[in-house]
Amino acid sequence: RGAWPCRYLLCEILCEDPRCRQCIDERAVGASVKDAIARAHGDYGLACCSVSFTVKYLNAYTGIVLLRCRKDFYRLLWSALPFVTYLENRSHRYSCCFNTIHVGGTIRACQKFLVHYNRNQLLLLLQNCSNEEERQTIQESVLSCSLKELEEEQSQSVDEDDSAEVDRTEA
Amino acid sequence: MSNAREKKRAKKMRNQPASVTLSSDSRPCHSGTQHHNGGSRSFQTPKQDLHPGSSQEYQQQRHQYPSPGPSYRKEQYISEGQNRGERGRGSWRGGRQNFSQEMPKYLTASTFAQARAAEINAMLKAVKQKSSNSLVFQTLPRHMRRRAMSHNIKRLPRRLREIARKEAEKAVHQKKEHSKSKCRKARRRHINLVMEFNRRQKKNIWLETHVWHAKRFHMVKKWGYCLGDRPTTKCYRACYRAMTKHCLLQDLSYYCCLELYGKEEELLKVLAQMCSIDTGPTFAAMPYLSGRFQGSLVLYRENCYPEDMLGPITFIWKPRDGSGVTSEMRQLWIWTHPSLKQNILTELKAVFQCSEPLETCSPEPIVTLLQEEKQTDVAVSVGKKRKREDNEGEKAVPVKKIIGDGTRIPLQSYCWTSQTTGIVISDLTMEILRYRLIGPLSHCVLTEALKTASVQTEMANADTKLNNWWVESCKNSEQVSLHQHQEAIFELLKGIDSPSEIPAGTVLGLTVGDPRVNLPKKRSKAMPNPEKYQDNEKVRQLLLEGVPVECAHSFIWDQTICKNVTENKISEQELNRMKGELLVPGSQLDLGPHESRIPILLVQQPGKVAGEDRPGWGSGWDIYLPKGWGMAFWIPFIYQGARVGGLQEGLKHSEYKRTPHIPNDYPDCPAGIQFARELENNLLEKFKRRPPAKRANYVKLGTLAPFLCPWGQLSWDWEVRHKAHEESTSTSSPDSKICATERQVPCDPKLGLIMEDSPETGILEEKVEATGSEENIMMEKMTKTQNLCKEEGAATNSGFFVLRSRKLLKQLSAWCLPTSGRGQRVRPAAKRGEKEITEDALLPIFKCYPRALVWVSLSLLRKGSPELHAMICIPTQEDFLQLSKDQLFCGPQEPKHSDTFKHKILKLKERKKKKNSRKALESGASDTLKEKAVEEHKELILGLWPDPLPDVTAHCSRILLGFVTQGDFSLAAGCGEALGFVNLTGLLHMLSSQPADKKGLVLLRTPASLQYRFARLNIEV
Repeated sequence: RGAWPCRYLLCEILCEDPRCRQCIDERAVGASVKDAIARAHGDYGLACCSVSFTVKYLNAYTGIVLLRCRKDFYRLLWSALPFVTYLENRSHRYSCCFNTIHVGGTIRACQKFLVHYNRNQLLLLLQNCSNEEERQTIQESVLSCSLKELEEEQSQSVDEDDSAEVDRTEA
Repeated sequence: MSNAREKKRAKKMRNQPASVTLSSDSRPCHSGTQHHNGGSRSFQTPKQDLHPGSSQEYQQQRHQYPSPGPSYRKEQYISEGQNRGERGRGSWRGGRQNFSQEMPKYLTASTFAQARAAEINAMLKAVKQKSSNSLVFQTLPRHMRRRAMSHNIKRLPRRLREIARKEAEKAVHQKKEHSKSKCRKARRRHINLVMEFNRRQKKNIWLETHVWHAKRFHMVKKWGYCLGDRPTTKCYRACYRAMTKHCLLQDLSYYCCLELYGKEEELLKVLAQMCSIDTGPTFAAMPYLSGRFQGSLVLYRENCYPEDMLGPITFIWKPRDGSGVTSEMRQLWIWTHPSLKQNILTELKAVFQCSEPLETCSPEPIVTLLQEEKQTDVAVSVGKKRKREDNEGEKAVPVKKIIGDGTRIPLQSYCWTSQTTGIVISDLTMEILRYRLIGPLSHCVLTEALKTASVQTEMANADTKLNNWWVESCKNSEQVSLHQHQEAIFELLKGIDSPSEIPAGTVLGLTVGDPRVNLPKKRSKAMPNPEKYQDNEKVRQLLLEGVPVECAHSFIWDQTICKNVTENKISEQELNRMKGELLVPGSQLDLGPHESRIPILLVQQPGKVAGEDRPGWGSGWDIYLPKGWGMAFWIPFIYQGARVGGLQEGLKHSEYKRTPHIPNDYPDCPAGIQFARELENNLLEKFKRRPPAKRANYVKLGTLAPFLCPWGQLSWDWEVRHKAHEESTSTSSPDSKICATERQVPCDPKLGLIMEDSPETGILEEKVEATGSEENIMMEKMTKTQNLCKEEGAATNSGFFVLRSRKLLKQLSAWCLPTSGRGQRVRPAAKRGEKEITEDALLPIFKCYPRALVWVSLSLLRKGSPELHAMICIPTQEDFLQLSKDQLFCGPQEPKHSDTFKHKILKLKERKKKKNSRKALESGASDTLKEKAVEEHKELILGLWPDPLPDVTAHCSRILLGFVTQGDFSLAAGCGEALGFVNLTGLLHMLSSQPADKKGLVLLRTPASLQYRFARLNIEV
C-alpha cells in the first residue's frame, strides 16, 4: 500500500486559566493525549494509536490542535480525548479539556473547515461584543481575513491594521 | 541528496501553516528569525524570507502576543498613538523577563479575534494555493481529466484556469529556444536532409551504409568513424549460424587503403626493412608479388624487428601488365586498420622519404554529383522535375559527400612523392569500399547477386562519359577474352561448396553490371546448386590450380576509371522510375548500353588456417568496390540472404578463428596500448559506479590487475624469477652468472636480431665477451633492469614484445602437445624431427627472448567460461595428482587474500572527516603534513590494488603465466575457449617441468572468482 489512510481530528483546547496557553506545544499535547489513551484503552489502544500519531498543527492563541491518526484506530483516539483533563509542562499542570470540532480525511479538509469555523466564531464574537472599541477591532479583523486582502498584503508586505492592534497589547 | 529532498519538501510545505505556540523559551527572538517550539518545522525557516506572505506577518505578529502580564493589562489604557513610536522588539523583550511569573488573568475579545483572523488567513493560504509540485490538471480527479488538458487550458474547470495559465507561461519560459526552425516537411526535404547529414558527419565519418546501419544497429564512434557495433535485435546465435552455415556480411569500408606506386625493386628493397622473413612470407614472396594472392604480415619500424611493432596489415600487388621486369612500375595496396593507419603512414613516408605533397591531388575532393545534373537532361523530356529546374541556376546546392575520411585532417594532401626514387604514396582511405562475406555460402551470395558485365562495343550516348572506359577496353580483343575467362571462373564458383576450398588469399578481378537491376523481388537465401556442377571437370581444375594470375586483373586499380564509375552512377530514383515504366510491371529491366559497369575485386579471405580442428572455418570473400556504389551492392547481398554483423560479430569471428583481433590483441603496438588504456578506463568507470559494498573486492580475490594486463611487469618479474631459478640450480657459478647477465643483452634489439640469425655462434661470441668483466656487467645490468622496471609504467612498449617468429612458434607448439598418453592429440615430437625440451635447446631461447610474449589459445577441459583478463597460471604437482585421481575435479581454489588496504581507506576517511570538522572549527588552520598524507593515498579505491603492484607472478598460490585477452564460451568449439598471451620464459619453465602426458595443461582463473579451472594450452601456427 502506498499511503496509509489517515484521519485528522481537529480539536479545540478549552482552558480556564489563560496561563495554560503557555504550555500548549506539540510535545505537551502529544504526551497528554497519549496518556489519556493509555488510561482509556490500555497498552493495546496506546500502541494502535501511536502508529503515525502526530500533532500536525497547533495554535496556542486559538487553542486549535490538529491530530493525525491511522484511519483504523481514530475511534480509539477520539473516544480517549474526553479523558484529557490537563496539560503538563515544566512541572506546571493546568486543567483543560479537548473539544473535537471536526474529523477529516485530509489536512486540507480540516483547514477548510477551520476557516469556516473561525469565521463563524468571529461573527459570534461580533454579535456578543460589549463595547464599541472591541466591536471595531473585531470588525477589522473579520475584514482582514479574506483571500483578496491576503493577496494584496503579499505585495504590500505590511499590514498596518494588524500591527497597530498588536502594538497596543505590547505597551 | 538529503539537501535536495529538504528543498523539495520546503517548497511543498511553504504554504502550510506552522504550529503556533507561545514563545516561552529563552532563545533570542528577532522578527527575522522565527522560532517554533520544539524545534519542529525547522525547514520553514530558510524559506521564510522568500515568501513574504501572510504567514510571515502572522508569525511576526505572533511574537508580539506573549506580552508580559502588567503591560498586558495596561494595553487597554494606553492610547495607540503613544505606543506606536516606541514599538519594537526591544521594548517587548524587556518585558519578557518576568513573563513566566505573571500571566494574564483573562483574555480580551480583540486579541482573541485577531488570533482567529490570523489563523483564518493562514488556513486560507494553505487551502487556496496548491502545495505539490504537480501541474494543476494533475491534481484533478481522474474522471475530470480530459485529453490534451495541458495543451488547451479551456478544457480545465474554470476555477483552475487562472493557475494553469500561469503555469503554462512559466513552462514556456523554461523551455529552450526552439532549435528546429523549419517544419518537418522542410527538414525532410532531400536537400536539407543531405545538408543535415553532412553536418552530422563532420566529426565522425559515416560509411556509405551508415543510414542503413543506424536504423538497425547500436552505433559507436570509433577511430573517427560511426560504426555499427552490434544489431539491436537478438542475433548472437543467428550470426554465428550465419558464419558457419550461411553468410555473414560486414562493412569493412572503414579499413584504410594506402597505395604505393613505384619501381618494384625499389619498393621491395625498402619494404624488406619493415618486416621480417621470420614472421612468414613478406612482400617479396612470389605468389603475392605476382598479384595472384593477397598477403598479410606484421609491419615493424624500420630495422627494429622484433620490437617496435607497427601493426598487422594485408596487401595486394597489382598484377604485372607486361613482362616480368623488376624495374617495372608497380602498384601496391596496403590495407590497415584505421587505428594503426597514422603510425604506418608516417613510418612509410619516413622510410620512402616521401615528404612532398603531390600538387595534382586536390586536398578535399568533394565530388559533386555530376550525374544528377546530367540525368536532368535525360529526365526533362520524360518526367517533370519541378525542383531540379529551380536548383539548376544555383550551384550552391549541397551535395552528398561521397568522400570523407575521419583519420585525415581536412585540407591536407593525401599524396606524397619522393624525389629520389619517384615512389608515390597515396592515402586511398574511403576511396575504395570493402565488404566482407563470411561463411560457406558467401560465394553463392556473390554469384547470385552479381552478374558479369556484358561486352559493349558502342557508346550509348555520344556525349556521356558513361562506360566509355568499358567500350574502350572492349575494342581490345585480348581484354574481351580476359573478361570472358574471368566470367567463366566466376560462374564456376557456384559449384564449390565452401570458399575454404580455394587457396587462401586468391584474388579475382571482375567487371560486373549494375546489381540493382536484377534485384530479386523478395529476400531469399541463396543456396548452392552442387548437382549442376557435380562432375564438372572445370570445377575440379579450378580447385586444383586455383585462379590463374591473369584473372586477378581488374579496372579498379585505375583511379580514373573508378572516378568515372562513381560519377556516372544512375541514381536510385532514376532507376526506380525506369522500373516503373516497364510495360510488364516487375519484369526484368534491360538497360542495355545505359547500364553501368563496375570494376570490382574479389579476394578470398582464409578462415581458420592454424590448428587442427575446424579447418577453413569462417572463410569467405572480401569484395572491393569503387566508392559511391556502397548501397547499390549492399542491398542485393542482403536480398540474397546475407545476415549483417557489426564490430562485435567481427570480434567473435576472430575469436572462433583463434586469430588476434585488431587492435585488441596487439599489446605491443601503439594502437593496442591505446586500446588497453581506454578499456581500462571504461572498466574502472564501470567499477566505480557500483556502491563499494556491491563491488568485487579484487584485493581479496588476489587479482592484481583486473582491468589492464601488466605485460611489462609480468615479463620483468619472470626475468627476475628466471635469474633466481638459474642461480639456485646451477652448479658452476661463473657460467650461470654469464647466463644471468646475458639475458639482459637482447634489450638492444639489434643484438637480438643477430643472435636469432645464428644462435649458436652468437652465444659463443657473447660468452667470450662476457667473461672479461663479469662483475661490472653484472652491476650495470642490475641497475639497468631496475631502471627499466621503473620506466615500465610510462613506456610499456620498451619492456616486451610479442613473439612472431614462425620457426620458434612451431617448435613451441610441438612442445606444448602432450607426448604420450591417450587421445588423438598425441604426436611424439621426435617424429617430426624437432628438438626435445632440454636445457641445451632452451638456453638460446631464454637468452634471445627474455621478455617475449606468446599468443596462445586455451580450451577448457571441463566446466568454466573464461572472461576478459582472466589469469593463466601454472598448476602444481598436487593439482595434477588430484586431476588424475578425481574425474570430476574442476580445479583448485585460491585461498582468500586479506585486504590490507581496506583498513587504510577507512582510516583515511576518518581522517578526512576529522579534518573537515576541524576546518569548520578553526577555519584556515591546517597542517600541511597531514594533507600530504591524504594526497598520497588519494588513489586508493576499495577493492583495487594501488599502483605499484607487487610481484605479479607469485602473488597467488599458483604462479602466473599470462593473461587472457579474449575469452568466452565458444559456440564453435562447444566449450569455454580463451585467447591470450603468456610469457615465453614462464611457458618454457612450465613445459620443462611438466610430466610428458600433462604437457600444456594450465589453470585459468577469472578476475572475479577464486576457482581455478584446467585448460589446455595450444600454440597454433
